[in-house]
Amino acid sequence: MEGLAAGLEIFSDPTTLGLILLGTVAGVFVGALPGLTSGMAIALLLPFTIFLEPIPAIALLSALYCAGTFGGSITAILINAPGAPPAAATAFDGYPMAVKGEAGRALGIAAVSSACGGIFSLVILILAAPALAHLAYQFGPPEYFALTVFGLSMLASISGKSALKNLLGGAAGVFIATIGVDLTTGVERYTFGRPELYEGIHFIPFLIGLFAMSELLIQSTRTHQILERIKMTAVLLPTREDFRKVWKTILRSSVIGTFVGVLPAEGGTVAAMIGYNEAKRWSKHGSKFGTGEIEGVAGPEAANNAATGGAMVPTLALGIPGSATAAVILGGLQAQGLQPGPYLFEQQPTLLYAIFYSMLLANIVFLGIGLGGAKLFSRISLVPRTFLWPTVFALCVVGAYGVEQSMLGVYVMLIAGVIGFALRRYGFSPAPIIMGLVLGKLVENSLAQSMIIFDQNWLLFFERPIVVLLFSLSLIGIFAAPVAGLLRKTAKEPASANSIEE
Amino acid sequence: MLFSKGVSRLHTMAARAYCAAAVALLATVGFAEPAEDFPSKPIEVVIHTSPGGGTDTTARTMLIGMRSALSPNIVVTPKVGGGGLVALNYAGRRARDGHTLLAITPTHLFAIARGQGSLRIDDLVGVARATDDPLIIVVNAKSEMRTLEDLIQRGKRSPVKWGTAQIGGVDHIAAAIFGKRAGTRIAVVPFGSGGEIVTNLMGQNIEAAGLNLTEALDRIQRGDFRALAVMSEKRLDSLPDVPTTVEKGIPVVYSTVRGYVVLKGTPQDRIDALEAAILQGMKNPAFQSFLSRSGLSMQGIAGSDVWNRQIKQMYEDARAAMQELGMLR
Repeated sequence: MEGLAAGLEIFSDPTTLGLILLGTVAGVFVGALPGLTSGMAIALLLPFTIFLEPIPAIALLSALYCAGTFGGSITAILINAPGAPPAAATAFDGYPMAVKGEAGRALGIAAVSSACGGIFSLVILILAAPALAHLAYQFGPPEYFALTVFGLSMLASISGKSALKNLLGGAAGVFIATIGVDLTTGVERYTFGRPELYEGIHFIPFLIGLFAMSELLIQSTRTHQILERIKMTAVLLPTREDFRKVWKTILRSSVIGTFVGVLPAEGGTVAAMIGYNEAKRWSKHGSKFGTGEIEGVAGPEAANNAATGGAMVPTLALGIPGSATAAVILGGLQAQGLQPGPYLFEQQPTLLYAIFYSMLLANIVFLGIGLGGAKLFSRISLVPRTFLWPTVFALCVVGAYGVEQSMLGVYVMLIAGVIGFALRRYGFSPAPIIMGLVLGKLVENSLAQSMIIFDQNWLLFFERPIVVLLFSLSLIGIFAAPVAGLLRKTAKEPASANSIEE
Repeated sequence: MLFSKGVSRLHTMAARAYCAAAVALLATVGFAEPAEDFPSKPIEVVIHTSPGGGTDTTARTMLIGMRSALSPNIVVTPKVGGGGLVALNYAGRRARDGHTLLAITPTHLFAIARGQGSLRIDDLVGVARATDDPLIIVVNAKSEMRTLEDLIQRGKRSPVKWGTAQIGGVDHIAAAIFGKRAGTRIAVVPFGSGGEIVTNLMGQNIEAAGLNLTEALDRIQRGDFRALAVMSEKRLDSLPDVPTTVEKGIPVVYSTVRGYVVLKGTPQDRIDALEAAILQGMKNPAFQSFLSRSGLSMQGIAGSDVWNRQIKQMYEDARAAMQELGMLR
């Protein structure tokens, strides 16, 4: 633990401190802009960090990572355009809050939940990284399959819309995930011979289209109506009462996010989805999710930021990146001549604590930016729609193009926007579609990989304890509500009256 | 003010590049004809992976030195998709005037060998090679397989679960050819990335894998993985005790080679200027330390002659391997 004090030295070095601040501000900015992600920003900065000392270099990159994950929530809440994939679930309830005139409240909750999630995961990182890291090895393809099944088990109830429509939407998402060259067979599916489609539909343009573009189209149908002006309450920050309501959600999501973050290759997006699911499952107002519940903002935001610290666990302790962005940071560590792995903790405790402190500071700084800026940012929701949405459209196009610098992204975004518009008019919610898309590829690939490993004998799934546990949880998740309903029905009069009232 | 300063800087750069090109030409032809300014616009380095991958990092660290040697105006353009096909097709649409460099790996050659995309092998002109990262057959240190012979015997009983990145990629072809030539059975489990292969080999969800030296060296040295053989002709300096597949009598030689090409039709003086600038970029401390830190040898760096011959050779090998595996239509 001697490094704990030694790591504090970074606060006495103005260069490091300046770089952390710079990284945090830049991270919030790129995170908030749809189409720009912190992973891309880190990759672009990587060659230049070679000229820095190891500690300032890594401090800059990890600060950017933390702040970028938070930044995505700002645009998700204000204009329904998640700035980065991990913020997709934040838009489910964050944007409806902004529409109701509670943008400031939503932004405040997002900032506080993000910082809590991030700091929680960092504490776990520093206390238990070497032990927790080995969890990564416990997760082979069968365990991933069970985890994604668990995530998908919430599909039917993810939004307040009808269960049937949610399932259809989820199936559509899973279907879209099948586009491209299949990982395990190498067969092209629905690519129409276009090499651009070999890697599948890119997530970011699709996300921007389904959320922001479809929202724009919906707004455009309302121009002839007299719009209710959003009240100035929009700039109000969350109250103490609000935090009393969400602290359990924050805590739960922090644990989920850290756990999912530790799993290699699973990043904040899956963490946020599961965080949202569980927030809904345990909430007293579960049925109101999707209409602007603060727990629906706190759930995914705490989870996706907790995933940043979680993702650093295998990255530092095993040399295995816990997320796509962590993979880039790993490249940065290696470029500095540091080989992450079990020995890093013994040989370089100072470096480890320096990373811990820089991420901690980044979390505190973005909390400041988030809370301080919430009053300012929330005014965006007061901008008349005739001015706001054309600007959003420009942002959408640039973002969709920027991901791979190709017009295909823009076409995907436009098509997804039209599809999203049509579906929403017919009472579908985008949430299950996104969920199906995020988990679809994983559920299919992990099943195919498992079956090769098991020599096509699926019964071997049940010899793995983690799989059995996750399968059981999924079954409970699916059947608990109907069974409880059934029991209530058979119970006495007052109980059934209550359930109708709900 | 700022603008004019930038322009004049550009001019000096261009002049310097022109001098380099002229010197190179003088050396070969005897005297040079005055060529027009090169580069006259931004040079694009087209890569096939997203930011952060090995090809991207290689290019960006090389560019640090190349920019000061040729022009500050050199950018990385990612064209992701289709196992390099999107990048190949994109480069094929650009003018063949030296302003488009394409980063290639064996993956691109496999795609061309399958007849996919708009380019043929003769369209590629090698400019310089950057890295040569051999494949190593590894198993978990806890595994019962201690030698390559053990692995071959094990596969005769039931297929060895062998992790690969992608179907049709270099490590997949290498595994398939190895299985065929060694007379053993291999069940390929694709994971999409080297990192996931490492995790699953650590967790013993798979039994073996062909990993790049850069991915495996550290774990071999730490005793997590056991290296059974290097897929090369000569033993590696960093792993002197590990036999090669060739010396074990199984001629399977594969490595992830990264280098830069332009398309046929690009003026020779520009190719020479690019070659000189890239080689200069790879002499830069930033690139040198990148190599040594990733455990790669400086011998990966080579000029146009060597690289060009290797591209043709790798292509022929790729065709032969795919023919052998029945992957060519």
